[in-house]
Amino acid sequence: MKAAESIDQFYLLKQLPKATALLCKEGRLLDASCSWLELFNLPPQNGDLKTKVYNLFPENSELNKKLKENKPFTIQHKRAAANGTRYLKSYFSPWFDKEENVVGTIVQTDDITMEVEKDKKIKWLENVLETKVEVSKTGWWEFDVETETLTWCNETKRIHQVPENYTPTTSEAINFYKTGYSQNKVGMLFHRVKENQESYDTKLMLVTFQGQERWVHVTGKPIVKNGKVTKVFGTIKDIHEQEMAETRVKEHQQLLSTLIDSLPLNVYVKDLESRKMLVNKGECNYFGKTVGELIGKNDFDLYDEEIAKVSRQEDIEVMKHLTPIIGKETTSTLNGKTTYFLTSKIPHFDLEGKVCGLIGMSLDITSMKKKEEELHNLIDITSMQNQKLVSFAHIVSHNLRSHSANFSMLLGFLNSENDPKERQRIIDMLSQASDNLLETLGNLNQVVDINSNTSATKKKLNLKKNIVKVLQNFSAVLEKNDSKIINNVSEDIVVSCVPAYLDSIILNLVSNAVKYKSKNRSPLIIIDAIKSSEGILLSISDNGMGIDLNKYGDKIFGMYKTFHNRKDAKGFGLYLVRNQIEAMGGSITVQSEVDKGTTFNVYFNEDS
Amino acid sequence: MKTVSCIFIVDDDPITVFGIKKMLKSVANCDDIQIFQNGQEAYEAVKLRHEQGRPIPEVIFLDINMPIMDGWDFLEEIIALDINEHIVINMITSSIDPLDYEKWNGFKDRCPYTLNFKNKPIFKIDSADLGCINVAS
Repeated sequence: MKAAESIDQFYLLKQLPKATALLCKEGRLLDASCSWLELFNLPPQNGDLKTKVYNLFPENSELNKKLKENKPFTIQHKRAAANGTRYLKSYFSPWFDKEENVVGTIVQTDDITMEVEKDKKIKWLENVLETKVEVSKTGWWEFDVETETLTWCNETKRIHQVPENYTPTTSEAINFYKTGYSQNKVGMLFHRVKENQESYDTKLMLVTFQGQERWVHVTGKPIVKNGKVTKVFGTIKDIHEQEMAETRVKEHQQLLSTLIDSLPLNVYVKDLESRKMLVNKGECNYFGKTVGELIGKNDFDLYDEEIAKVSRQEDIEVMKHLTPIIGKETTSTLNGKTTYFLTSKIPHFDLEGKVCGLIGMSLDITSMKKKEEELHNLIDITSMQNQKLVSFAHIVSHNLRSHSANFSMLLGFLNSENDPKERQRIIDMLSQASDNLLETLGNLNQVVDINSNTSATKKKLNLKKNIVKVLQNFSAVLEKNDSKIINNVSEDIVVSCVPAYLDSIILNLVSNAVKYKSKNRSPLIIIDAIKSSEGILLSISDNGMGIDLNKYGDKIFGMYKTFHNRKDAKGFGLYLVRNQIEAMGGSITVQSEVDKGTTFNVYFNEDS
Repeated sequence: MKTVSCIFIVDDDPITVFGIKKMLKSVANCDDIQIFQNGQEAYEAVKLRHEQGRPIPEVIFLDINMPIMDGWDFLEEIIALDINEHIVINMITSSIDPLDYEKWNGFKDRCPYTLNFKNKPIFKIDSADLGCINVAS
């Protein structure tokens, strides 16, 4: 009966869905459910009580003692199995008979491997999160819509510089943002994320618990359940240092670009292929193009090939030999306009110290060049005038001296002369010398007038009319000498000239032609005028005796130089003409052949 | 009083010519004083005398600034004539242009004749101007 009962009992045990075992008081396994045996990898029991339960829990050395206490307890333990380590949890409770006597222990064991592994994973995830927060300095916060509670993580608290036990409310959190833009914005964004489920991601200024103003990057995201926002989750990151650094970089860039743009220089940066990578305003203005139109272009796109070749060669030299060009004078022709530059080209290095192109700077010195040229012209004019002045001074001293010497000599004679007849002769000569001196002074005065009065008013004069007028006044002499004049000057030629000078020039040249006529021919005078881009050329040709220019060439326009044996030749007319012409910025040349004739060419300067 | 066979005065200024003639009266005894208004005329006369074997002027008073042929050109031509007789040439000028003085210095070195440089005004003709010292040697 007892046996039958017990068999029934154990048969029932075998079938229990939860892994269960029965232990006798000595801690040996009486029997167990199949599932329990499987957990511990045991064969079916035959009631020989050979399986000691202590061996099944090797980590729990105190199990024996605990069993004897006859109180329920729980232990967690592990078992190595074919499919890896299994985590188990066993519940021990005393086994009573009907008389409430302890007859053994009931053991129930759960396989808790799944829960343990989940726990482990959660711990790992928490760890990862914590590390992430630490490394990225990004804090998080969470708002529960229902309870209206706001939770900050430790990093978030650190960013706000509040103690770790601080618990914020929503309005406190919003008040941490700087009054004005930041506070208004965060309030609006927080409202929208709750009401409209709009996420946000922005930069705002925070005022920390300790009163420091710091830039933060905040985000917010709704967590929606059944179409309703239940929570808002967000992050906050202190980006003050980056923001300030960025601001400084921006300020530097701003400064640099303002500087480069405002420099009175054409500045450009070229890459290794001489393509423009950066241009300033000056460079854009020079080309009359926008920045976009210039970037990426090389000199061949912008200049004629010849100029581009020279420039590219310079670039290569600078980038290859790393020798900068400093302040080199260059010329560039763009759209037919030549500009003079003072050009510098400096190799451009990248952060690794490798050449990546060049920086060019060009200073437009065209106006300076023009001034320099003007200065040179001025120096030329000045030295020419100076030379003229010196030679004039010599002429003056010579001419005046010759008269005064005559006076001295004659007066010396007069002193020692007693013969009244001879005295009278000397006195006649003295008065002659005096007349000569007066005439010389008159001549010199005329020359000084011309040269000191260079601004004598020029007028637009009709050349032909003036020639006709002079010829009329001179007609008596012309007729007497049986002269023929061919005036080819066209009606419309106008010269800019001092009227008195023009008359003097025409009169002197025409009267010279008559004065030095050939003994064998009646004078024939041909007057021509040609208008060209350089001005107006008046030429007066005759068929007179001519002059040997190889012999006298440079002297013909000299003062008191005469070359023919004529009593009325004073050597002053041509000197005067040349002075008058030159004073007006023109010039005069002569061509002549002995016994053929002479041609004087007068060039009028129309500019000044 | 020195006796000179022939004297040329080459100057286009009648007053200077008058003065020289007047001053010569008291220092030289000469029956053949010729006046020329420019270098060309004087040169042609010297050349003619040279060709005809007639006496060459012993003394020449030579102005620098003259029409047609000036004093310098006259000197060039005279040197080119290669005359063996000695001539005393007195250059007379009112010029104080240092260039003229330098030019004279240049000529003096290559001129086979005695070449004097006299600035106007002249008050007196020295015996040296008539070649007295040189003639003595």
